[in-house]
This record gives sequence, structure tokens and C-alpha cells, in this order.
Amino acid sequence: MRTSRTLGLIMIAPAAIMILLFFLMPVVLTAVFSLTNMSTATGISGGAYQVTQAAVNRLTTDMPELAAAISEPRFVIDGEGVAALEALQLKPHFATELRSEHLGEVFASRREAERVIKALKDRPSTREVKRISDLFNRSVLNTRFETREALLESLRKLGFDLTPEEQEAVAKATYTGWVWTADNFRIIGNSPDMAQVFLNTAFYVAVTLLLFNVGYALFLAVTTHYMTASTASIFRAVWLLPRITPVVIYILMWKWLTWDNGFLSLFMGQFGYPAKNYLLDNARDAWFFVILLNGFIGASMGMLVFSSAIKAIPETQFHASEMDGASRWQQIRYIILPQLRWPILFVTCYQTLSLLASFNEILLSTRGGPGRATEVWSLAAYHTALQNYTGNLEYGLGAAMALVLVVIGVILSLIYLRVFRYDTLISKPLIED
Amino acid sequence: MRILLDKFSKSFGTTKVIEGMDLEVGSGEMLALLGPSGCGKSTTLFAICGIHRPTSGRILFGDKDVTGLPSQERNVGVVFQSYALYPHMTVAENIGFPLTVRRLAAADIRKEVAEIAALVHIDNLLDRRPSQLSGGQQQRVALARALIRRPDVLLLDEPLANLDAKLRLEMRSEIRRLQKETGITAILVTHDQVEAMSMCDRIAIMKAGEIVQIATPSGMYNDPRSAFVAGFLGNPPISFLKGRAEQGAFVFANGIRLSLAILGGIPDGTVLTLGVRPEHFGTSGDIAVDGKIAFAETQGRENLYDVILPDGSVLRSIQSVRNDVAVGDAVRWSLDSKAALVFAEDGRRL
Repeated sequence: MRTSRTLGLIMIAPAAIMILLFFLMPVVLTAVFSLTNMSTATGISGGAYQVTQAAVNRLTTDMPELAAAISEPRFVIDGEGVAALEALQLKPHFATELRSEHLGEVFASRREAERVIKALKDRPSTREVKRISDLFNRSVLNTRFETREALLESLRKLGFDLTPEEQEAVAKATYTGWVWTADNFRIIGNSPDMAQVFLNTAFYVAVTLLLFNVGYALFLAVTTHYMTASTASIFRAVWLLPRITPVVIYILMWKWLTWDNGFLSLFMGQFGYPAKNYLLDNARDAWFFVILLNGFIGASMGMLVFSSAIKAIPETQFHASEMDGASRWQQIRYIILPQLRWPILFVTCYQTLSLLASFNEILLSTRGGPGRATEVWSLAAYHTALQNYTGNLEYGLGAAMALVLVVIGVILSLIYLRVFRYDTLISKPLIED
Repeated sequence: MRILLDKFSKSFGTTKVIEGMDLEVGSGEMLALLGPSGCGKSTTLFAICGIHRPTSGRILFGDKDVTGLPSQERNVGVVFQSYALYPHMTVAENIGFPLTVRRLAAADIRKEVAEIAALVHIDNLLDRRPSQLSGGQQQRVALARALIRRPDVLLLDEPLANLDAKLRLEMRSEIRRLQKETGITAILVTHDQVEAMSMCDRIAIMKAGEIVQIATPSGMYNDPRSAFVAGFLGNPPISFLKGRAEQGAFVFANGIRLSLAILGGIPDGTVLTLGVRPEHFGTSGDIAVDGKIAFAETQGRENLYDVILPDGSVLRSIQSVRNDVAVGDAVRWSLDSKAALVFAEDGRRL
């Protein structure tokens, strides 16, 4: 018993490792990334502390005075400056006097610093005062520190006596690496762009699912059921073609159909309509083709599932219902459809998830265009995280969007199970003979 | 309503199943289509109800030609061997289905269903689903569904085949009771001669797509037209002896003679088959036959014996229970020669 159990674990180990590596890990990592602000700008390793104008601007919202002070130059009489002054070979007393009398003094502005320099015993000229004061001009603006300590030390030397909160704020504003944050979800929740993409997705999934993946699939399954076997198999084979055609070629054929020198334009040209790109000329046409080309692929799976489910209904039930006086339509309504509840649930659930997650057909055909008219959630996540025109790939935000998609998928599945009363479906056998 | 098949033929592809069959079922009559598997009895039934279209010939209900009518317009009730209940509907919905598709008001349907359910004694099961019913209950539901819209014709396709022995007995009389109460014309398809004989007014016995004989059960039992019919009816079955006619006697291959008055007029040397039913061989009769008991079976009230005759052929005998003979005993039992049936070599009754 024990050895067989161990053997079982060993046998399943390769599959378990694969699932862990290629299924669970990506999900976990997505969740991890979604809680960061990682992007091309931050990199995915640690960052540095850089006092840029942008950093100062960020600080201004919370601590305007501190930000202004940091952005202003400061004048510090330090050893480095004095040494530089000696190297200028002006009057030697300038240096000695500054070193002995004023070393360590900090001035908030050039004027204050120059007043002290002018008062030196050797009386420097105005030109010399300017040259000397330049040597002591100290600013953190546009300097880069590898660590937080170096940044704070430097500020301390410039006479900033910062409270812990101020230290925190400055460090945060100047940090260039990624940090943990829940901002991604705030952005998703608040941005009108995201709301639009969300509505696009809901529209796309609902319409494709209803019209094609379930509706048209049911229509095909039922109509082929009433055909002779050979005719039915020809029809099924034809509707399988979109699924077995490589997607790139499939989309290319749609493009040939809709391009401005494609079939549609040529055909409409016969009636005097100007050539145009039917795929991308406006949002309505773009949606029309996006739903059509996805639906044609999606219909075949439902068709196969529903067809085999109808075949599983004993033939005498059809005979009996004919004896009972049921027309074809009544047969479909009272005999076939009620017994397809489970396959319909399965196809609806499966296709919702696959429509939510798949964007390759849209990426290849409209790229979410025209504008962002056919941008759906998964495509938007792809654009955000992996390919966008600004060049700043926001991994964190993209991961958060992907996570939202997973949550929506799970919620929808639960709703479906509820609506189709999954518990009654599995508690009793539906078809018995 | 009278059912008439006029030169009815049916073939599937190149396989001819039935050719030129004529059959008339009188109004209110219950007729059995009896025959072995593959004899075409179910094909005939399916043609009558409209599932199969005849290749040629006509089917008439009363005086109305229904040959070209779809099932929906024929007003026939059918009980299938598998009952074909709709598993997703309750018993009430199953029974009411023929009315539902006619768009009757829900209240009317409920009333009719209650009425017919009471007739077949399932009024306490209306809320169940078929999977929660026993075989006999499912059978009653199927009957109720077939009867609810008062069809002109009731067709039963092996309705008892899936029931256990006790239920079969019960449903046999139940179906007959319903048929009599409703006065409906009914056709029962079965391969079980006991069902056919016990339930029906007349039996049409079929073989390889043809009706061999139509008669009342007792008429057919006592006066079979051929060895096939004689062999098909009767339980335990009739025994056949092979021999020839010689000067008014039946002569076995090994020369033993039985003088039979009924063989008068048959030319000497004619090859014959003698049919003897088990009840005509035993304690009473006019000819003594020697043999050895090879097999004995107790059936409670009666015993069934297989007796091997000197030439190796077997006669069956059914008698009241007795304990004085056992397997292996040599016996000399009597045969009722007037009741023996004589068949020619080709099976024809002489």
C-alpha cells in the first residue's frame, strides 16, 4: 500500500512539476507583479535614488517647502571647495581664512554666501567673489545616489535637518526602482479608459458567445441532426475549417476580403462604392468583422459537442414524440434542448473563458483599432505589459489587468453553475435506457 | 377503427423485408403480430405508425388512406419496447406531452392526465421522473401517454419484453383490460406466443416477411396450417417425429410402426412429420408407445417428461405430478392419435 502510493507520487511527479512551473508559477508571479509598479522605467531589479526635477515635482504635492528648498542651490564652505580655491591660485589668504573661520558654514542662497566672501580680509574683487562662490555651490539636483543613506547623508551635509517622515518622503520621491503598491488596482478602478475597455470586452464576449459559440453552434447541431448522415458530415466538415486553419492564414484571408483592394471593395466597386478598408473604417464595421471571424472559429466546437449530445438521445424518443404529435420545432423545444442543458452549460462556460482570454485574432486583424474601438481586456493587458507605442511597458499594471480577468472568469463560472443548476445535473442520471 | 394493409411492401436499400402483405384488423379488435426476430413484424408496426414509409402498397385507417401521412397526423398511440419516456420530464409531463404539443390549456391537460393516470393506476406517481419508477410503472406511464389523446389505433411493440415474469403476467391482463375498456383497435408485436395467445383476439403469425396464418388463438393452436405455426405455439412446445407413411401407419426410420387412422388416404412412402403436443402423450390415448425417460422437470402442478423413443427421437409429455417414474425408467405411455398433427416434408399440414 505504502510503496504503491509512493510509486504513484513518483509517476505523477513530472506532470506535477510541469503544472507547478508552467501553470501555477505564472499565476503566482502575475499576482506578485500586479502588486508592484514595475515597468520599463523602473526595471525589474532594484533602483537608485535620483534627485531629478520630476522627483522634486512628485515631492511638491506633499511637502512643497522642502521640495522648493531641495531644488534651490545651496552654498557650503567645505574642504573640497577650499581645496579647489587653493588650486585657482588667487590670493592664498582667501583659502586659509575660509578654512579657519568659516569651514562648515551653510548658506541658503548665493547672496548670503557672497556677503561672507566679500567680507574676507583680503577683499576679493566682485569678479573673484563670483568665482569663489561658484566653487561652494552645492546642489543635489540631478545627482544620483546608489543608496538611501548616501542621499540622506548628502542632504544632511547641505544643512537639511530632516524628520523621519521627511526622509521617507524624499527617499520615496527620488527612488527610481519598483516598489510594492496597490496603485494598479486603483488605476483600473478609476480610469475611464479601463471602463471603456471593460465595456468592449463585455460586448465582444456576450455577442460572440450568444450569436455564434452557443447560438449558431446549436443551430448547426440541430439542423445537421435532421439531415441525412452524409450531408450532415459535409456541413460539419465545412464549419470545422476555420478552426483547423492556422490562425495567421485565416486572418489573412479575412483581410483579403476586407482590405481596400480586397474582394469586398472590388465587389462594391461594381455598384459605384469607393474602395475602403471595411475592417478598420469605423468601429461598427470593425466589431462586425471581429465578432464574425471569432464566431466562425468558436461555432465549430459547440456544434461538435451539441451534435454528439443529440446523438446520445435514444432514437425512440424522437419516434415517440412524433407519435405524440410533436412537430420538428416542438421536438427541438421539448425533447432536444432540455436534454442539452449540460452541454450548453459546458460550452458557455468554456467559451466565455476562452473568449475572455484569447486576443490573437483581434491582435492579428484590427490590433484593437480603429483607435481603441475593438480593444478588449486581454489585448489591453498585452498592450500595457508587453507591447505599446510609448515604449514604457507597465508590467505591474498589465499583471493587475490579467489578474482581474482571472477573477472575472472565476466569478462568471460560479454564476453559470448556479444558473444551470449544476447540482441537479450531477445528482441524477439524465439519460437512462 | 379498422386497419387495412393493402399489398404493403417494405425494403431497406436492396433488402426486401416485406413483400405484398395484406392484413385487416377489425375495429376494436386486438391482433398480435407474432414471429421470430427478423421476421418483419416491427417493420410492419413502424410502417403503420408512420416511422417507416412503405416502399409500395397502401395503409388505410377506416376508409382513410394514411400511406403518405406523417406520424403526427395519423392519431396512433405507440408503446415502445424501451417505453421511450422523456427522462427530463415528470410522469405528468410525459403523459400530458401529446396534449402539450397540441397547445391545450394547462388546466385541461392536468384534468386529462389525472383521468388517464387513474385508469392505469399511477395517479400517485405523477410528480416523479421516469428514472425513479420501476419497469412496470414506466410501462404504465408509456401506456397512459399513448392513450391520452384517444388514438384511433394503439400499437404495442414488445411492451412486456423488459419486465420480470410476475409483472409481465400482471401487465398482460392490464393491457387487455385497457384495450377492452377503451374499445381501441390494437396491434401487439411480440415474439412470445403466450403473450399473443393470452392477450389477443386474433394472431397473425409471421415468418420471413410473410403472414403464414391468421386465426384466433385456439383456432391456430388446434388447427395450425404448418409445422412452423405448430412449433411456434404451445408451451412446452410440440414434439416432431420423422418417418414415412405405409399402409395407414406411421413408420419410423428403424422400422417401428404406429398405426394411425388419420393417415388413411396418404400414399405409401410419403415422407412425413408427426406433431404430438405434450398433453396428447401420457396416461390416456389409443396407441401405446415404448420409450425411456431422459429428462423430468417439475412445474409444481404438472411434470414435464422427455421420453426417448427406440429410434432416438423425443416425445414430450405433460402430466399431473406423479412420483412413480424417474429419469432412466422405461415406460409405455399412450398417444392420442386423433390429436396428432401430420405434416408433409415441406412443413405443410396434411
